[in-house]
Amino acid sequence: MLDGLIGFGTAILGFMNPASIVYALVACFVGFIIGALPGLTATMGVALMTTLTIKLPSADALLILICTYVGAIYGGSRSAILLNIPGTPASAASCLDGHALARQGLAGRAMGIATSGSVLGTWIGMIALAFFTPVLGEMALKFGAYEFFWLAIFGVVISGNLTGNDPIKGWMAGFLGLFIAGIGQEALYAFNRFTFEVHDLSGGISLVPALVGAFGLAEVITVMKDPPRPVMVSAYDTVIPKLIDVTKYWRTIIRSGLIGTGIGIVPGVGEDVAAWSSYAAARRASKEKELFGKGSIEGLMAAETGDNACVPGAVIPVLTLAVPGSAPAAVLLAAMLIHGVNPGPLIMVENPQFVYEVVAMMFIASIGILIYGLTLTKLLVRVLQFPAVLIMPIIFVLCAVGSYAIASRLFDVYVMLAFGVIGFMLRQLNFPMAPLVLGIVLGDLMEKSLRRGLVLSDGDLLPFFSRPIAFVMFSLVAVTILMNVPAFNRLTSRAWSSLGGLFRRSAGKGV
Amino acid sequence: MEDEKPSPFVDLIAGGFWLALAIAIMVGAWTMDRLAHLKIPIFTVPGLVPGLLGAAIAMASIVLIVRSLRAGALAGAHWPSVDLREHWRLIAVLVLCLGYAIGLIGHGLPFWLASAIFVAVFIFVFQFAERRRDGTLPRGVLVAITTGLISGLVIHYAFQDLFLVRLP
Repeated sequence: MLDGLIGFGTAILGFMNPASIVYALVACFVGFIIGALPGLTATMGVALMTTLTIKLPSADALLILICTYVGAIYGGSRSAILLNIPGTPASAASCLDGHALARQGLAGRAMGIATSGSVLGTWIGMIALAFFTPVLGEMALKFGAYEFFWLAIFGVVISGNLTGNDPIKGWMAGFLGLFIAGIGQEALYAFNRFTFEVHDLSGGISLVPALVGAFGLAEVITVMKDPPRPVMVSAYDTVIPKLIDVTKYWRTIIRSGLIGTGIGIVPGVGEDVAAWSSYAAARRASKEKELFGKGSIEGLMAAETGDNACVPGAVIPVLTLAVPGSAPAAVLLAAMLIHGVNPGPLIMVENPQFVYEVVAMMFIASIGILIYGLTLTKLLVRVLQFPAVLIMPIIFVLCAVGSYAIASRLFDVYVMLAFGVIGFMLRQLNFPMAPLVLGIVLGDLMEKSLRRGLVLSDGDLLPFFSRPIAFVMFSLVAVTILMNVPAFNRLTSRAWSSLGGLFRRSAGKGV
Repeated sequence: MEDEKPSPFVDLIAGGFWLALAIAIMVGAWTMDRLAHLKIPIFTVPGLVPGLLGAAIAMASIVLIVRSLRAGALAGAHWPSVDLREHWRLIAVLVLCLGYAIGLIGHGLPFWLASAIFVAVFIFVFQFAERRRDGTLPRGVLVAITTGLISGLVIHYAFQDLFLVRLP
């Protein structure tokens, strides 16, 4: 505990220099604007900033990325409240009550609630990050090839299950991602797979250009394909958060923070699911259920606390397992690898101070969003009224630069184009992008673990199911898939009801 | 969270494409060199994992196809008539973006100039109808060129000079 506090204090002091403070403020601002502009997402923002910061020292680069990430997730609430359009998918739940409050002339109060919820959510997630990372890191040391194989599969399956509205399509996207990760030279015998004698493909598909395409170009196309709609910004009053909104709903804040953090830890699920889950839980527990969807302060607080708490939560598996908890966290993982930080089970052994540096970055980011949340409303309203036609071509230029900058090769720009067009088509067909991204990230881990496991067991599949942790993870994968099979659901509900009947009968006899 | 659900017919067509892709992956994996000359165990051949993934995608595609058929994909199914004029914005954005990324950058033209041209043309094309209707075409040209030049130069300066990132 004391070590953690000392580590956190040391990390904060390390960032207390003019350059880092300026980087943090600029990154929070950029993230805030990216998040607020409908069509630009946190994933795209973090991916573009990864390329911009490639030559910076790793601590400053990661500070910028985390501030952009936190800023973007928070920024999304502004357009949700003022325009009734979620700035990022994470803010969709905030539209329901945020804009309803704005229609009642309470847009300023709604923005204040979003600010307090987001800051407190980040802090709850941050505390969990500091406490759970060492615990999870220690657990992860027990993971072998068999467990990592199931972890990768579980990530793709659960992400496919939760991030879209059609699990089959989510799983297909995830499996495609796993396949894409295998293109190029495989690790065991350096054999070229599916490269079609294209030399550049031997190195595989780089994650950042693929992400920039799937989340950048695909969004540029999505925004530009429809004629622009008139922007109607709601009038607003003071944006300073009211203490009563925090004290009255402290239970909701803590519950939503914990739910958001928990969902962040689950691989590849992300902020939008965190926001909706926190919202649903708050509605179930609320004494004012009837207000939800009609301007409930509690509902908005829950959604905003949940999605921002998810950010530090999503970083926990990045640090301990090298498995991202969300799509922006996948970019963060790639950035850590680019900057020579090797997250994974050994992080608490090799580089424990880095974990506290990340906690400090989250704290600095939360201060950044608090500052901008209280001061930038007028500027933001002007930005929201800026025509998309002036912003989108610039975004695409940044996508091209970002893809090129990682390895200075045009091939990556073409990868970005391909993923942009394919990503756009898949989105039109209702295939979610998050499992695809997670698949690309986890493909290498999944394949290495499977083949290593098979070598260790001399081709025997039994250890994949007989080791305790591996069995638990396999069961989770199986149950997640089976839960989507109607026959299985019917069978389990029948079993439950007959079990319930049995208990009732025996209880009746007892009486 | 995601876009609206497409019709069962669209799902059927998509399922067909996915199935074709999955079969191609499985065939590619099956015919892949098994490195017999290295005498490697069969469970470490390079085609194993792609083959398994191809099979998983194929199974999911079949479920998608069956589900769309059961949802009535073939009842009154017809290819939607596509009027290209209705989709001019989509075609324009694709042509402009692909033209810039494939044709303009990395072929000798300075990056800032290529980007300025792209941004200016993009803005002009998408504002053309509105500007012509309002009688502000010359102003539209000026806005497009100014925005293009400023963005091209600022991005060039920020990436190349400030953050030392190489540009195409």
